[in-house]
Amino acid sequence: MENSTKSIGKGIDRIDGILKITGKATYATDYPAKNMAYAVLFKSTIAAGQITKIDSTEAEKYPGVIKVITHENAPRLNTKGGLRGGALLQGPEIIFHGQHIGIVVAETFEQATAAAHLIKVEYNQKAEKTNFEKLAETPTMPKGKELADQVRGAGKSAMKTAEVTVEELYETPIEHHHPMEPHATMAMWEGDKLTLYNGSQIINGAQTAAAATLNMKPEQVRIISPFIGGGFGSKGGQWANLVLTAVAAKMVNRPVKLALTRQQMFNSVGLRQRNMQKLSIGATKEGKLVALAHEIISHTAINDEYIEPCGDCTKIMYDVPNSLITYRVVPMNIILPTYTRGPGKSTGSFALESAMDELAYKLKMDPIELRIKNEPPKDPSNGKPWSSRTTVKCLQEGAKAFGWDKRKAEPGTNKIGDDLIGYGVACGTYPARQRDSSAIIKLTLKNKVVHAKVEIAASDLGTGTNTILAQTAADGLGLPVNQITVKLGDSDLPPAAGSVGSVGASSFANAVNDACIKITDELLAKSGKQFFVRPTAAQLMISESFTDFQTRSDSKAPAEAEKYSAHSFNANFAEVRVNSITGMVKVTRFLAVTGAGKILNPKTARSQIIGGNVWGIGMALTEESVIDPRYGNFATRSFADYHVPTNLDIGNLDAMFINEEDLIPNKMGVKGIGEVGIVGVAAAVANAVFNATGKRVRSLPITPDKLL
Amino acid sequence: MKPFQFISATNPGDAVARLTKNPEAAFLGGGTNLLDLMKEHVSLPNEIIDIGNLSLKEIKATATGFHLGALAKNTETANHPLIRKHLPLLSKAILAGASAQIRNMATNGGNLLQRTRCSYFYDISMPCNKRVPGSGCAALEGFNRMHAIFGWSEQCVAVYPSDMAIALSALNATVKVKTSVAERLIPFKDFHLLPGNHPEKDNSLAHGELITGIEIPNNSLAAHSAYVKVRDRNSYAFALVSVAAGLSLNGNLIQSAHLAMGGVAHKPWRALQAEDFLKGKPATIANFTKAAELEMASAKALPNNRFKIEMGRKTLINALQLAFKG
Repeated sequence: MENSTKSIGKGIDRIDGILKITGKATYATDYPAKNMAYAVLFKSTIAAGQITKIDSTEAEKYPGVIKVITHENAPRLNTKGGLRGGALLQGPEIIFHGQHIGIVVAETFEQATAAAHLIKVEYNQKAEKTNFEKLAETPTMPKGKELADQVRGAGKSAMKTAEVTVEELYETPIEHHHPMEPHATMAMWEGDKLTLYNGSQIINGAQTAAAATLNMKPEQVRIISPFIGGGFGSKGGQWANLVLTAVAAKMVNRPVKLALTRQQMFNSVGLRQRNMQKLSIGATKEGKLVALAHEIISHTAINDEYIEPCGDCTKIMYDVPNSLITYRVVPMNIILPTYTRGPGKSTGSFALESAMDELAYKLKMDPIELRIKNEPPKDPSNGKPWSSRTTVKCLQEGAKAFGWDKRKAEPGTNKIGDDLIGYGVACGTYPARQRDSSAIIKLTLKNKVVHAKVEIAASDLGTGTNTILAQTAADGLGLPVNQITVKLGDSDLPPAAGSVGSVGASSFANAVNDACIKITDELLAKSGKQFFVRPTAAQLMISESFTDFQTRSDSKAPAEAEKYSAHSFNANFAEVRVNSITGMVKVTRFLAVTGAGKILNPKTARSQIIGGNVWGIGMALTEESVIDPRYGNFATRSFADYHVPTNLDIGNLDAMFINEEDLIPNKMGVKGIGEVGIVGVAAAVANAVFNATGKRVRSLPITPDKLL
Repeated sequence: MKPFQFISATNPGDAVARLTKNPEAAFLGGGTNLLDLMKEHVSLPNEIIDIGNLSLKEIKATATGFHLGALAKNTETANHPLIRKHLPLLSKAILAGASAQIRNMATNGGNLLQRTRCSYFYDISMPCNKRVPGSGCAALEGFNRMHAIFGWSEQCVAVYPSDMAIALSALNATVKVKTSVAERLIPFKDFHLLPGNHPEKDNSLAHGELITGIEIPNNSLAAHSAYVKVRDRNSYAFALVSVAAGLSLNGNLIQSAHLAMGGVAHKPWRALQAEDFLKGKPATIANFTKAAELEMASAKALPNNRFKIEMGRKTLINALQLAFKG
């Protein structure tokens, strides 16, 4: 029964907000240590080949320099320990431009930086594989089993039976995560125990990868990461810089800080790969889909394979009897691509949802109507029933709130002065899952006041995990939020899933909720009494005068969840204004309507959704990392070249949530919103640009030159 | 970062004397570009001479026009009542550049001296004749979407990034410079240089010279001027193409047109052919179009920036129309 004292579902302020705005929240390099030394990475200036000589004589003589570490004197590490991207100084081999080739450790950051410039490196250069367009002519099959060709019904050949078809190529460029806090680590050794202060989306993942790479046991490594200044996937898997900081600290026998510069962020911690997507849709004249094919070419690194699954939305979005999804890949001399917000779904939905818009235009049908007409009654990819599906609700409620009826169907007909106005819509989805997580609750009674401490090795990317866990515990224990302390971001705490793949909120909150139920059960048993109405843990502590009590719960997803297909869904609505002379685009209004089960905190949820929308708008209009194939370097290597959207690019952002209860994926009915917030956004903007101008841009970003 | 001495100059003479003495010294104004260049290891001064305390901050009307102190901040200049009233073109151009935070720090003199944002210039692992003469130009056959379409050479295809200077060029400003022996005045058209065979030289200042101010002659453009900047996002981006336009009108008749373009050359590009054509002609769309076409006819695109020719044509016409409307 709903109770007005409940905290879950209320948009309370972040419990750590004051800490953040007063600068008291501690990020990776905010920890002081006696006798700290500073490490700076230096990088290769070729994309492929071998180092033949590194001369660090001058650098070693430079004032303040303690040590120069290269592959020649670095300890041997386990390169299969689970860190991403290689570059662990294990040999002379160079496989991408900007690969770490050494570390300078000095008394100050400035000395280390200056000394790094004195190092002379000679190479034996090999022909580099850096030209994606060229390589994409002869791609290969990916190794990953989940990326094998997926054929349903007659596959692509059913296109022949269609009365209306769209077959187009959609392209998305390399993008970078660029969290506000660049990757940084502080490493401290005490005997054979290592502490790493490091922004980590997966605390236990960072711990096991660091330990395995260093040939240590996980319990010898402690990760501390109470606050993270954003990650967007780049702090999900961990990269060489984490362990190289530990190596440096060991070699100089001092605590060491290592922070990447913004420029180094371009080739140190992954990226969203470039994708070429051929999307084919065939339909009847009435708009019923008969065939759908999504053929994708991406690149990966030379040393490892990561391919974002661009076909994932296509697999489940529409009811179509015949479909084909294929992945092909090109290994390149480039840093390993990695999870990047809405991996595959954000880029894949750009192709799918643009093509749906193109089809709607050809059919002279409203794009919302077309989507609703092809709504699948069950998951077309595996035949499982939906745990719930909110696409139609998102579209209908969004259309009403956005004023979709004011859209002019004919492109280029809505003009104010020199500006063309356009409306666009696009849908998105992301799986809802719960992952194994454990939590401890510690209750204390002092002066008749109960206080609870929640401990879990969860992470807070800046999205509000601290706050939603306090809310969960408050309701689970019968306490106000201000009597809860949440401790997370430390691998010494009970192990938990990561803030990745939209599993954070569901996994962490269910673990805390389960622990609350368990502790209440245990307190009841301990009291030895029977109650007509189940008391809360807080009431029991007081009535029975228990001074201390704690319990641990280990939570898993319900077994039943496997039988269903569980996803978050959204519909995105964009209004753009395009200057008909300059081609400059402004997103004047954007509305994301999301069905994501239980929304624990509407305020932090809204922030997370509009944050995803902003990146999606950046993806649509401004963001692109360009490789110069002659060198393999990034020709866009600062925020002067890599454009994230500014306030002036975006007007009103709004987020709405569908009120739904879906308790199949997990007990609390939490589906996750981190990833879905960016899915479908770029397509909605591109579709709005088409509606405004009549120009269909199929290659992102939509910069002014493409609209001349 | 390379270690350096840091001293504060007490007066312009002291500043000039100190800089003249040390070929590796540099003046520090607002630092909005110099600090980036130092962090990127592109500029390696061994001595920083802070000129922030010099009293070169005045903005005032003079007998013949307006004086902008070299050390007055961009924000202050753009928002100064005199500038807003009499030189709105300059005000608009300044406000189209950078971000509020950067404009708050950036000085007028420093703005003129900012260096190209060509990414190869900033990446010390790349060849760049501007950074290391004789090393080659990586941009010529590289990623040159942002680069020049006028006046470039095989040695350098970079563009000059300032917005403010584009307006100053259109306004026929003069740069006032103090040397170790005297003061000299450099007409704006001669201040910035085309790359030719010496792209390492951005402008005609000699080492040891200090910009003390900028003089702008009186004009009759205030009622009919416009600054149009086309860029990849709506703020905080360098121009793909920009146009500063001012019209001196007699009724519908153009007495003189002042047109300068940004984002297209190694210096503010004065659109002289368009200006010549428009002189004495009626202000009509047909004439604006013809003028723009004449100007763009001599543009020479690089592989990635062909779009700038059409964008330049449209932006010239647009700026002329907006200036005419007033």
